[in-house]
Amino acid sequence: MSWVTTDAPTRAELDACVTCGLCLPHCPTFRLTGDETASPRGRLTAMAAVAEGLAPLDATFEEIMGFCLQCRACEAACPSLVPFGRAMEGARAELTAQRPSRVRTVRHWVLGRALAMRRVVAVATFAVAIAQRLRLDRVGAGPLARLRGLRRLPIPPRPTVGRRFPTAASRRGTAALLAGCVMDPWFSDVHTATVGVLTRAGYDVVVPSAQTCCGALAAHDGAAAAAKALAARNVAAFAASDLVVVDAAGCSAHMKEYGAWADEGAAVAARVRDVTELTAELVAAGALPSIPGDGERVAVQDPCHLRHAQRITAAPRALVRAAGYTPVEIDPAAMCCGAAGVYTVLRPDTSRELGVRKAAQVRDAGVEVVVSANPGCEMQLRGLLGASHRVLHPVELYWHALEQEKERS
Amino acid sequence: MSFLDALHAVVGRERVRSQPLELLLFAKDAGVRAGTAAAVVFPETPEETAACVRVAREWGVPVIPRGAGTGLAGGAVPEEPGLVVVMTRMNRIHSVDVAGRTAWVGPGVINLDLSVELGRHGLHYAPDPSSQSACTIGGNVGTNAGGPHCLAEGTTVAHILAVELVTADAEIHILGGEAPDPPGLDLRGVVVGSEGTLGLVTRILVKLTQNPPHVRTLLIAFADVAAAAKTVSDVIAAGIVPAALEMMDREMVRAVENFVHAGFPTEAAAVLLAEVTGFEDGVVAEAGTIARIADAAGANEVRVASEGAERDEWWRGRKSAFGAVAQAAPDYYLHDTVVPRTKLVDVLTDVYEIGGRYGLTMLNVFHAGDGNLHPLVAFDAREPGMLDKVEEAAKEMVRVSVEAGGSLSGEHGVGSEKRDLMPLVFDPVDLDAQARLRDAFDPDGLFNPGKVLPSGSRCADFDYVAAGAVP
Ligand code: SF4
Ligand code: SF4
Repeated sequence: MSWVTTDAPTRAELDACVTCGLCLPHCPTFRLTGDETASPRGRLTAMAAVAEGLAPLDATFEEIMGFCLQCRACEAACPSLVPFGRAMEGARAELTAQRPSRVRTVRHWVLGRALAMRRVVAVATFAVAIAQRLRLDRVGAGPLARLRGLRRLPIPPRPTVGRRFPTAASRRGTAALLAGCVMDPWFSDVHTATVGVLTRAGYDVVVPSAQTCCGALAAHDGAAAAAKALAARNVAAFAASDLVVVDAAGCSAHMKEYGAWADEGAAVAARVRDVTELTAELVAAGALPSIPGDGERVAVQDPCHLRHAQRITAAPRALVRAAGYTPVEIDPAAMCCGAAGVYTVLRPDTSRELGVRKAAQVRDAGVEVVVSANPGCEMQLRGLLGASHRVLHPVELYWHALEQEKERS
Repeated sequence: MSFLDALHAVVGRERVRSQPLELLLFAKDAGVRAGTAAAVVFPETPEETAACVRVAREWGVPVIPRGAGTGLAGGAVPEEPGLVVVMTRMNRIHSVDVAGRTAWVGPGVINLDLSVELGRHGLHYAPDPSSQSACTIGGNVGTNAGGPHCLAEGTTVAHILAVELVTADAEIHILGGEAPDPPGLDLRGVVVGSEGTLGLVTRILVKLTQNPPHVRTLLIAFADVAAAAKTVSDVIAAGIVPAALEMMDREMVRAVENFVHAGFPTEAAAVLLAEVTGFEDGVVAEAGTIARIADAAGANEVRVASEGAERDEWWRGRKSAFGAVAQAAPDYYLHDTVVPRTKLVDVLTDVYEIGGRYGLTMLNVFHAGDGNLHPLVAFDAREPGMLDKVEEAAKEMVRVSVEAGGSLSGEHGVGSEKRDLMPLVFDPVDLDAQARLRDAFDPDGLFNPGKVLPSGSRCADFDYVAAGAVP
């Protein structure tokens, strides 16, 4: 029966795989199972089999695709440059079209619509903030326990969207910030740090109010129509911005691929920068200072969508150094922490298995602080490490150092 | 009770694959040809492996061992609908004897993981095939894998002291031992390179090698392939045995550079990677000699890698060559022959000529030091008649290598891909001896049928009795 949508993996994408197998050891699900059906090559072969009509798009296909974390470690390891992430998003879009289910419909409503409604997110945020104050997230292992990885949510919330933060330094330009769907209410300290650092470097920071959720979660889950609608709204909202700064790695990775999701998307995509790469460049160019510190050791966790999807590895380490700390490697193999967006809810066992490994690597490093540039990874780490470790975004670490430096002088 | 039920009883449902789409993913390895898997099983212990063999034998289903599936010669391809026994879950390093420099490992241990793990003891496992980051030690034993650094260190067989083998009667035996030269017949040596046709290897005693105190890696660019080949023979003639001596042609260098961005000279007609190891004085002197020889042969450029990152990038580039080929076309066919170094230039010229005549896109990468050639043909298997054309060209290429005094298969094994070319290098008496050796281990042809030996290898099939052979 083959494919039915225009989002499906293309022949060129699938042909690019020569089945060499060099990606296999980089794949977390292959590492856990040793099973070809849980490997990047196996998944691509399965897609090719469906594409050529050799196999039906059945429950087995759904399971083979669904087990994938979409971490894209395979993509970074592939000498043949197979665009695995794109192909997998296409396969998921086909599953949406060909194997409709009520559960998926509800999930897609949440990822594609609800997250983009500020009022819905605000109500949910308020409920979570109350639960935190009642310490409901501390009891048992039920669904509320998953909230353990969250930061303490402020009441009332401090949204940035629609605001403008003029620089007091000599003016370098204007940076438009992606407020994000949950970043704004749940990770407002990261925005504070981003705005603080950019204004210090001479950027007026604007947060256009016409923007919405970036659509990454919808795209990864095969909610292609919703992802396209969200991308189109953001492309319009950021069309006039010379520089779009994003402080969640999953979102910056996705927005850099807007060319595939919206008309005129490529133009906006080309102006998107992850805050870690931009800040590291500003430090290297002397526009922001390197702050002397006592060189305390800080672990660096590489979010997959920063390291594998965007190939950014030096920047977060440079920020740790610029903040006066010593970056510590915890995982040379750069395996996924298991958070992987909604994966953590859909496949809690695998998510947890990978998360426990990552937390152990942090503990083995003998550090008290770990930086991660993506909210999902941050929650996973904080949830599993507990109160013994502080988990922050690298730009926060740098911002705190900048602030302390200012107080000292 | 069905065959599947019997497997479920042995390893449990979660470790058996039997859905049609799942089976399709085990139908081939990294090569071109596909077979048919009847079921797939993932044993975790030698005992479970033996139990799987017992089930297969009872049901008369052939057994095909599989590691990471990075082989290029079809060794893990089920020629007949068979039980694919995947060894990846037996991936423990059981014990390491640092002083004695040996380790017992599971067949599913990934080659590079072993060396990384041993790094803290200053040791490594020497054979380093290109697929080192992904392939398993078990697969290396099956194919007697080589690699760039086998020039000085020898191929897998020189690094295996013992193997634990599940035989056709589902018994577990240990062949070989800690002593470098155990008494009796060298059955361990027979198993290495047998491509799973004699039994299933479930544990391996490997020899470990000390990390060299100093390493120097040179990247040398040439304006023509002949100058590069001359450098190779002159280096060896000067009495230097580099730890590795590798060559890539322009097409290959370009594909690789596209992926690694390591600064390979993409304008050069050929690039040599030479590595010398040892104590500092010797390393410096040998590297100097190689650079001088290259200069004399007309090299355009000689670069010395900074130790660590740059060297690693160069090797990562070289070792990703096979995968990078896909940038040229969706399928590739890799040849693997060994020719005398002195004939390198002649054979290469012929190989390019054959490729040109068939209108095929050729990329070349090879272990120049030991004359192990890997011409690659990039093509699209869906073009009608293409695969046949590629295989015709392949046969011609093997033939020129053999006629120049070379041999089939340096290191990737024979599998099914080159099986029918075996009579080119072995006469009927040799083939008969090999077939009877195989029969001694596996009289019913349970293990990996259709591999290595062409049908008709046994003398009875030839209708001919070898002189002196007892029929
Ligand atoms: S590394 Fe790339 S070409 Fe090789 S098997 Fe994986 S996806 Fe395919
Ligand atoms: S995206 Fe991650 S989990 Fe999925 S196949 Fe690639 S490496 Fe494996």
